Order: sequence, then structure tokens, then C-alpha cells
Amino acid sequence: MVKHRKPGAFCRGAGLLLGGIAGLCVSGAFMTAGTVYASDTAGQEEEIVLRVSNWEEYIDLGGWDEEDTIDLDSGDIFGEQSMIRDFEEWYYENYGVRVRVEYSTYGTNEDLYNMLTLGDTYDLVCPSEYMIMKLMTEDQLVPLSEDFFDAEDENNYYINGVSPYIRSIFENNKIQGRPWSDYAAGYMWGITGIVYNPELVEEKDASSWRILNNPAYCRQITIKDNVRDSYFAAVGAIKSDLLTSEEFLEAPDYPERLENEMNDTSKETIAKVQEYLQDVKDNAYSFETDSGKADMVTGKVAANYQWSGDAVYTMDQADEDDFPLAFAVPRESTNIYFDGWVMLKSGIRADAAKQHAAEAFMNFTSRADNAIRNMYYIGYTSVISGGEDRRIFEYADWCYGAEEDEEDVTGYDLGYFFSGNDAEDEESRYVISAPSDQIYRQLFAQYPSQEAISRSSLMVCFDDEQNQAINQMWINVRCYNIHDVPVWVWAAVGASAALLAVFGGRKLKRRR
Amino acid sequence: MYRHLFSRKNLGIPYMLFLALFVMAPLFVLFYYAFTNGEGEFTMLNLTGFFSDPNTLGTLFYSFGIASVTTIVCLLMAYPVAYILATSKLRAKSVILMLFVMPMWINFSLRITALKEILTWIEGSLAYHPFLNTVLGMSYDFLPFMILPIYTTISKLDGALLEAARDLGAGNVQAFLKITLPLSMPGILSGVSMVFLPAMTNYVVLDMLYNSTYIMGSLIGSYFAAYNWHGGSMIALILLGIVCLFTLLTRGIEEENTRGGMLL
Repeated sequence: MVKHRKPGAFCRGAGLLLGGIAGLCVSGAFMTAGTVYASDTAGQEEEIVLRVSNWEEYIDLGGWDEEDTIDLDSGDIFGEQSMIRDFEEWYYENYGVRVRVEYSTYGTNEDLYNMLTLGDTYDLVCPSEYMIMKLMTEDQLVPLSEDFFDAEDENNYYINGVSPYIRSIFENNKIQGRPWSDYAAGYMWGITGIVYNPELVEEKDASSWRILNNPAYCRQITIKDNVRDSYFAAVGAIKSDLLTSEEFLEAPDYPERLENEMNDTSKETIAKVQEYLQDVKDNAYSFETDSGKADMVTGKVAANYQWSGDAVYTMDQADEDDFPLAFAVPRESTNIYFDGWVMLKSGIRADAAKQHAAEAFMNFTSRADNAIRNMYYIGYTSVISGGEDRRIFEYADWCYGAEEDEEDVTGYDLGYFFSGNDAEDEESRYVISAPSDQIYRQLFAQYPSQEAISRSSLMVCFDDEQNQAINQMWINVRCYNIHDVPVWVWAAVGASAALLAVFGGRKLKRRR
Repeated sequence: MYRHLFSRKNLGIPYMLFLALFVMAPLFVLFYYAFTNGEGEFTMLNLTGFFSDPNTLGTLFYSFGIASVTTIVCLLMAYPVAYILATSKLRAKSVILMLFVMPMWINFSLRITALKEILTWIEGSLAYHPFLNTVLGMSYDFLPFMILPIYTTISKLDGALLEAARDLGAGNVQAFLKITLPLSMPGILSGVSMVFLPAMTNYVVLDMLYNSTYIMGSLIGSYFAAYNWHGGSMIALILLGIVCLFTLLTRGIEEENTRGGMLL
């Protein structure tokens, strides 16, 4: 038994509609609150307006119940009010300047990009890594200031708290010669995998992308309804033999080769992916955007292609009904993803005060207790490991560590995330003794093992030509091809057309 | 002076403004995108592309299929109900009518979610009959839109005409076929247009009931998600064309019918 079972990200469960309404109300409330706030201070001092746009349900909006209190040994953590208000107050206390955050949300990276193209202006947004790369290529971003990286400043929670593992990824991945870290501060991260019901699905089946078209699970698996995730899974499935061959795994340049293979957009691969996904369409329960989690919990499906953050949420929900689910990371490869804060040129417009507020916002959300609040509230994993501040590790242990009387316990090493690969002697300090089943469950999804991470691959930002080819492939998969219309349907259409013509003709004649 | 302010002409201004801002302006934008390419140059490629791609044509066909079947199912269910309700002398008929219309007051996605559970319970898994499920979902959703107009036209029907038909020796069936059915045509037509057109694009029902095949609405969405605003706008424009054609057609038949009614 886990020491403290996480009641789960209580807010994410709301359906599409409820979420939408809540979102509207919340943003409405902020709007009004903000306006009142502004008139309070009008004429007294200057106020910075910071326009932040983030994913839906992706920040702690406060209003926790007493029982949600996270009672770490080092002190309680509790989300009383929205983190956005907390930030406004914190900023005023620290810098003596009023900031008003205009907070809004978007549903997909593509929605965000379309809104930007339409001329909506934001100062700070939180897209996924491929969209950050796209925005970087298009020169739409403001680089982070030097002060942001000043580790001496104790308000710089990001640079002092970001996980060394994540930091090295942000520094080593470059686009047009500049590393991501010049422009982006990470927020949440995760990998993709399969949530499954261990009573119906074998772990070895769930550990391969080939489960998606496995006839043994016909009509029992849902797959993500978006082209990038589907593409990744399909590439993993069709290249399964190569990706799991010993020769490939042991190649000295394995990580680069893996990334190349997983981002392969050659004509032949796209054609094979199309063929594979057409198979999947006939074998899967459905393509889903949001319903997969609920269908998994209610037992409508046996397995579900999921992002790790949502996987944690799904398992938490199912646990409440004593319905244990598990998480598997396909042996071929897993897509590692990051959402990060970036500042937009169109919003900031070289306004130093505004940029300072935006960077302070990134830092404030990176403070260990705030990162924990967000993780608890939304279920995803923060890129923050805390640095000197050990509360993040303490929180992971609080969530998943075993009770003292637990017998079946396994040590789960998170050294790679918390202390980095180069501080090997320190690694032993970051081991969670967890109930053994957690190695296949929430703990594994929230903080994937180093072994799973070793086969992770980024999915790059495709250029226009590649995107066009892949989107065409997707449309070919999803659309009904007119050549597939059976003869009897054509006959029926012809017959009804003839009938209508005769009927209409008679009527016309009669009228004359 | 104030009378002048509230003259008929002036009272129309708010609506004209609304029309210009939220109907005409977007329409121009739609036209602009539909006939331009990424570089902003005029092109017909979006239009010809639509009619030469087996996928878009197939999607149009599939949407038509779903919409037609939904309309027929709705009509077959709605007409008898509307007829019985309108002609019966039941005191509780307004209550019964309300029972049919009441689902409209409950949020649509909530109803579809409930339907999803019921269908899962009946079929075991929703994955095997996507077309059937979609038609059921749409029919469930749009049925009141079919019942109401038919009910209204039949209940307004002049009973003297039926009596006259009886006097002249027509049987029940004949009277129905010659009098009631032709005279309820306007109700049927407005019901059909209220069901058919939304059924072509309402992809939320498909999504919620796990039909993985695109219809027109989802196809437009996928074009926009791929930043292809031009192709997406063209599809929206073509749909608009179909709507216009459909409206013209039904209006034509309606006019013919009123004339036919007068001849009777």
C-alpha cells in the first residue's frame, strides 16, 4: 500500500463541457477580479499587465479542501487561492510593482499557433517542445535575459531548481544553432505509453506499439486522435524489429540513431504508417481526444495510448474504485515531451519591465512548493527537481513511498532526475522505497525509470513539406474514400435519384 | 424628435451592424481564404482540389449518407407522433408534446453521454457499429426539430377540408394521402432542413460515439489543425453552397405546394 494515496488531480476529470464552462467562469472571474484590482490602484502606481496563455487545467487554481493538504515532514503545502493571484502578491512584495495577470487557455498547440497568427497577443505562453522549435525558427520569441540564469539570485527558482537531466536536454537540443534553453524554461514533461488493465492485457503485449493492431485486443484499445502521437506510435510499430534488435540497441550512437528512426518522414515510411494506421482504425476501439481516460476507468477498454501525466490521473481515478491499472512504456521507443514557457516578441515588445515580470512568473511557478501544488493539481510531472530544496523528492516519496510495515518493497532510483548523471556518489540519496507494484504504476508514469528514459526519443518539429505529407496521410486514414463506396450503395443512390426525378416530373406535368 | 429616433429604419441599425460585423465580414474572410494560397495569390486549386480528391469527395458522400439516413429515421419517427398528437383529442397532449421536446432543454453533450452508456449496455461495445451509433445519436439529438414543425402544420390544418373529402366519398387513407400529407409538406420540409443540414457537420456526435471516420465538420477541423486555412475555408464554402442550394430547392417545392393547396 502506498503511504499517502494521491486523491488525484481533482480538476482534470471534468468533462469537455464542464471544463469549458469552468474555464470560462474562471477566466471571467479573473477578468472581473483583475479589473476591480486595477481600479483600486489606478492613479497610485504603475501596473504591468501580463498576458499569459497556458493549456487548459495546467496550473493550480486553488480552492483546495482541507483533506487535500500535502503534509510533508518539512511542512504543509496547500493551495488556498489561485497560483496566479499568489504570483501577483508575491511579485508586489518582492519587487514593489503591481502586476496584473490576464490568464487565458488554449486546447492544442495548433490552436495556440492559429491564435497567434490571427494576431492575438500574449506575453508568455506554454507550448510543447516542437511548437517552441517552430516559434524559434520563425523568430517569434524573446530570448531569456542573463539575469534569469543568475544562480546567485535566490528568487531565480528556475535555474536553481530545474532538474539537471531536463536542463541538459534544454541545453543540448539546438535549432538554428541556438539551444532551447536560450528561449524556453521548462514547465512539465513526460513520456508516452500504454495504460492497461493487467487482468486483460499482458505486460509484454502492452510494452510494444504493436498492441495497437494486435487482433487479440480487437476493439479494446483507444489511440490518441492527433496526427503526431499516432505517427510516432505507428513508426515504433512498423520499425519494431529494427528498434529492438541487439545490434541497434548496442550501437554507440544509439540515441541519435533512435531519434533519426523515430523522426523518419521518408515516403516509404509515411506509406507504411498509413497502411498501419488504417489497420489500427479497424482494430482499435476509437481515436479519442479526451474520452480515453474515462473509458479506461469505467472498463470500456482494456488499454489506452496515453501521455504519462494523464496515465497517472487515470490510474489514480481507477484506484478509487479498487480497479488497479498499470502503465507500460513500449520497448521500441517512447516519445519524451516537454511543455515550456516562452516569451513572445509580439507581446513583450522590448518592454523590460514586462519581461522581468514574465521571467518572475516562470521563476515563481518553479519554486518547489508551487511546482508541487501544480503537480498535485494537474497530475503531470514538473521539470523542477528542487536543487538544494529537497521538497520535490520528499513529495514523490510522500506520494509513492511504501509504508514502514510494507513487505514487498523495491528501491526505485531517481538519481538521473534529481542529481544528474555526473554526481554518481550522490545518487543513492534519491531512491524511493516503493511498493513493488508501483514500478509498473503511478510512480513509473510520474517519474519514468532511467531504463525507460534511455529509449526515449524527441519528436522534432517537421517542416512544411513533411507536415503536408503527414497530414495528407492522416486524412487518407481518417476519411472515407469515395472509391470504397460499395456498388449496392451507388445502386440505392441511383434508384432514389430516379424515383425523385419521376415523382418531381409528374408533379411538374400536373401543374402545367 | 424621439419618434424619429425610433423609426423603423433606425430600429434596424443594431441588427444591420451585427449582420455586417459577424455575418458579412467573416464571409468575406472565408471567400478570401478559399480562393487564395499560402502566398496570398488568387487560385482555384482549393476548389478543383476538393472535387478531385477521393477523400474529400468520400467525406462529402459519407456526410450525405449520415444526414440522409438520420433525416429519414427522424421523419419516420416524428410524423406519426406529430400526426397522432395533433389530431387526437387527448387532454394531456400538450404534456406529451412537452415530453418529446423536453430533451432539448437538457444539455446536448450530456444527453449524448447518457446515450453512449445506454448503447454500450445494449451493444456491449460501441466500436462495432459506428455508422448505426452515429445515426442513432443524431436522430436522438434532432428528433424534436422534426416533430415540432410537423405538429404545428398539422394542428393548423383546416378540418373542413377533411370533412369535405369524407362527404365526397374519400376513405381514411385517401383523405390522408390527398389532404393531410400534401398540406403538411411545409412542416416536413422545414423539419428536414432543420435535421439534414446540422447532421452533415455535427462531428461532436461522431467523436462522442467513437466514429473514427471524418464528416465535413471534422475534415474542416483537421485542415485548420494542419494550418491549411485555405483548404479548410474552401470546404466550409462548399458546405455553404450546399446549404444555399438546399434552401432554394425546399423553398421551390414549398411555393409549389401552397399553389397546389389553393388549387384544391
